[in-house]
Amino acid sequence: MNFEEKIYNIVTSKKKQRKVGFIVLGFLIFAIAMIPTKIVLAKMLPGKSANTYSIYVDTATNSTIEQTKEVSECVMSVMRQESAVKNMEIFLGSGAPLDYAGLVKGSAFKSLKNQAEIVINLSDKHHREETSYMMVHRLRPVIQSKCEALYKNSSIRFVEMPSGPPTFATVVVNIYGKNALLLREISKDVKASFEETEGLVDIDIMQDDVHTKLEIIPNVAKIISSNLSVDQVSNVLYMAFKGSVVATKNSTQQQDQIPIYVSLDKETRTLDSATKEQLELKLSRLKLLNRQGIMVPVKEVVEIVETVADPTIYKKNMKNMVSVTAECDLVSQVYPLMDAREIMIKKLEHRFEVERLTGASTYMFDLALVDRETREKVLIRWDGEMKVSLDTFRDLGGAFISALVLMFLLMVVYYKSFALSGIVLVGSFLSIIGVIIGHFITDIIFLYFITGVHFYLTATSLIGFISLMGISARSSLLLIDFTKSLIESGIEKNRAIAISTATRAKPILLTAVAIILGSLLLATDPIFGGLGIALIFGSMASTAVSLFYIPVLMAKAEAICPQNGGVVCEEGEGLNEEHMDVSEIAPEVHHGNPTK
Amino acid sequence: MKKESDLKIKNIAGYLSKGFLNNPLTAILAFAILSLGYISLEVMPREEDPQIAVSGGSIIVPMPGASPDEINNAILKPLERRISEIKGIKDIYSTAMHNVGMLNIQYKIGEDRESSNLKLYDKVMQNMDSIPGGSMMPIVKPFDIDIDVPIVTVAFYKKEELGIDHIKLYKQIKDIQQDINAIENISKTTLKGAKKPQFNVLLDLDKLSAYRISIGQVVKAIQAIAKNAPEIDVPTKENKLIVFGVKNAINSIGDLQNLIVAKYMGSLIYLKDLAHVEYYYDIQNYQEALISYKADGSPLSGTQDQVTLSVSKLKGTNAVHLAESVLETLEEYDEALEKNGLGYIITRNYGERANEAVNELVHHLVLTIAIISLILIPFLGWRESLVVTIAVPMILAATLFIAYMTDQTINRITLFAFLLSLGLIVDDAIIVIENIHRRMHLKETADHSFDRIIIEATDEIGPSTNIATIAIMLTMIPMAFVGGMMGQFMLPIPLNVPVALGVSLFVAYVFAPYLAKKLIKRTKGTH
Repeated sequence: MNFEEKIYNIVTSKKKQRKVGFIVLGFLIFAIAMIPTKIVLAKMLPGKSANTYSIYVDTATNSTIEQTKEVSECVMSVMRQESAVKNMEIFLGSGAPLDYAGLVKGSAFKSLKNQAEIVINLSDKHHREETSYMMVHRLRPVIQSKCEALYKNSSIRFVEMPSGPPTFATVVVNIYGKNALLLREISKDVKASFEETEGLVDIDIMQDDVHTKLEIIPNVAKIISSNLSVDQVSNVLYMAFKGSVVATKNSTQQQDQIPIYVSLDKETRTLDSATKEQLELKLSRLKLLNRQGIMVPVKEVVEIVETVADPTIYKKNMKNMVSVTAECDLVSQVYPLMDAREIMIKKLEHRFEVERLTGASTYMFDLALVDRETREKVLIRWDGEMKVSLDTFRDLGGAFISALVLMFLLMVVYYKSFALSGIVLVGSFLSIIGVIIGHFITDIIFLYFITGVHFYLTATSLIGFISLMGISARSSLLLIDFTKSLIESGIEKNRAIAISTATRAKPILLTAVAIILGSLLLATDPIFGGLGIALIFGSMASTAVSLFYIPVLMAKAEAICPQNGGVVCEEGEGLNEEHMDVSEIAPEVHHGNPTK
Repeated sequence: MKKESDLKIKNIAGYLSKGFLNNPLTAILAFAILSLGYISLEVMPREEDPQIAVSGGSIIVPMPGASPDEINNAILKPLERRISEIKGIKDIYSTAMHNVGMLNIQYKIGEDRESSNLKLYDKVMQNMDSIPGGSMMPIVKPFDIDIDVPIVTVAFYKKEELGIDHIKLYKQIKDIQQDINAIENISKTTLKGAKKPQFNVLLDLDKLSAYRISIGQVVKAIQAIAKNAPEIDVPTKENKLIVFGVKNAINSIGDLQNLIVAKYMGSLIYLKDLAHVEYYYDIQNYQEALISYKADGSPLSGTQDQVTLSVSKLKGTNAVHLAESVLETLEEYDEALEKNGLGYIITRNYGERANEAVNELVHHLVLTIAIISLILIPFLGWRESLVVTIAVPMILAATLFIAYMTDQTINRITLFAFLLSLGLIVDDAIIVIENIHRRMHLKETADHSFDRIIIEATDEIGPSTNIATIAIMLTMIPMAFVGGMMGQFMLPIPLNVPVALGVSLFVAYVFAPYLAKKLIKRTKGTH
């Protein structure tokens, strides 16, 4: 039985029409169910193997540059055993030369003694076996357990080249509130809940560590009676211990001026230990000259008090904020986030009334806390890549819906019929079956046979799906147009459908083959893989839908027959093309083979 | 179907194919499009990722001696209020540290950078009168991806110890920096880890108290001789001009060492009695850059000092060419560096990376076109397949040229847009050729001229192809309105795919029939 007869058999039999309808419906439900059941995982953008990545080292707030250097050197010593490393650089007390990731992560503002950045350059990715993200995944626990242990409160974070636009961190939780102390306590709970969540790594709180400091309070009465001035005291202290440039000299030999820098020499400047007594001893030797020419030791005119250093205040949009950041270790950010949120709620519940903020906005995972005793309010807001992903998916979803509407309107203008436009739209939408199942198959292949990493449904898959709609619309259009012109030329409806499907099968298959082959190389790309897979499997599904389901829909649509004109369209009445109420259709089958 | 002898054209497709079918200019036009596309591919600026228009900046207000809380109250709070008056700001991040307050302003993605920067300056300048006492002049630093993200970084290190000191090293690298900055379209070069020459006066606390001298006295003495006085011209009695200048008293390290600070118990005290005076580098700068590298075959070396020179480019210029000229300039210094025992490693080369990414994708494009045309041979015949194979590069060439004219760059996303559109743009040509092929073999057309078959075949599929192509274009357009970073990142797709589709229609109606006439052998109807 040839293809034309097969189609003819389907469109003339109610039973077979219904069967095709149910198969399509079954596939659709099966495919869509894969998303909420996490059989197919969603992520914004997949990882990309790069030839370089950075490691950010942050030691405790009051660390010396030597301590930071020691931690960085420790990282280097682990890295040195890696054969894939071509060279590595450490930038102490500053950020590495800026890259796109550093741009949003504030690398340019690094200037403190407790900050360092390490750049790891790998040999070319075509000549090495391991991808950069697998290497980071393998080395991260090794380096963190070895080097973070050197000094308390050190944090080592791995920063990979983002495959798309960079974000501050993959998971960011901003805790807003008025009371800085309360924020500090909550941030500890948030950090703890991140640590308990599987898949989250590089957890860091963006705030200063609380440390003690010695404060020198000038005793104004004594200063005045010793014929000194207050700024003289502070100037000398700064000059002695920190040093400063007092003059500059121009040079004929080189660019820039040559500064003249004055400070105490290293031996007399350094204290033996960080205690109040040692500082007092030092200050008793540092003397000031008063207006009478008498040398007055600094210690005589000041008092030394031990205090707690004021931590840096961070604010976002004029509200006090503490950020807790984390990265995802090879997993999508969507799923650990949900787990972390539940753990967080459990931890905070005993002290706060926790309200889950829901709603259609992209802030739908936020939590509002109210202290049970003081009634203080704190807001926990998710930010970072999560927010960007949600926004992007929302916008792409919007783009998808507008694409549907635009296409529908275009079809209505063209056909002047809602039913036919509906057929085109339904045909387009059904390609989603292929997109999702395609991701499922690829995920299995990747996970078990190729890389061992999940293949995610990403933003690019969604773009693929959107462009697929246009492609499958074309097949439906060709079919409907040809069928219409056949009916106009006097061929009975069901036969016309069968002929047109059989005739148009070749170009439809050819264009599908062209798209599948054209997307094969696209599918091998880490970022646009999703797009490639969506196009390949989506066009397979849309071809199947065009060749088997669209004829069924056409058979049910009345609008396909010419509205005016002498040709009688012999067929049964069709209802809404999607609901298969076949009982009302009274098919009048004409078996006469029309002339071609 | 159409039995009438006179040709009836119903659609634009038919008119186009009729107009160009026997036109001698068609071949010239085709050649022109292909060459324009090739030229565009060569001259268009290449980059790895598309530019994302991120605007923003930071305002830094130093206030020596203030605690974070004081900074927050005196500087940040009023400043935040003023800045939030600006339209188009997305987020304001503020940080209050000891001695300094900082505001990082992020504009919404896609805001015009120049005007955003101006607005920021403007706001700060307008409120200069209400700046709190004790704070220093606010510094406004807008950030600029083009200028701030270097395309090439070079690490200079000591390969072998030939006794070059920090001062000579600095001079050498500064010379190179000057030369590289002189290359056209290079915008900013910076040094990281550089140790700047400096006179260090390191006072000994014990000696100071022994000679009964305070630090203030030492400072005054140094400042007194370091002053540069302007030259003085005085007329003499004979009305002649005499010019004399007070020479800067510090010419060498010796001058500084022998500076007389005070007189104590009748003898003069020189600076060298009180302090260790040296001509060395800026020891107070704790920022360091270190490197560990592989020298031919040997394992990674131990960490050693390095100086990194980073080079940025001006906006819209070709990273590939610039990176090449930077490397050429460096090579001129090879000998001089070798003599001093210095080596260098290119630690970043975005030019090369962009070039590789672009070349790889162009390679993929060519490969894909080849695969598609091969697969068409068994279905359509090799002549028909050849028509499609010629049509596709023409569509891509025209699209590329339009992209060049609209100031786009070639980047990964542009090329992905091309790869994505490849599957779509072959369709129009395939459908036209398939219909010509089909109609040619129909019985009804046996006595028609080949020209007529071609025009009729093109005309027949015209309406549905038009509407289908417009439908695909429509599905792509909403993507241009996706907001945020991701929207900007993906922007080349909605920009180029609809253009490619439009061009593909034109090519399918104009060149596909023309090529079909030239390449396809007429066979009489057999069906």
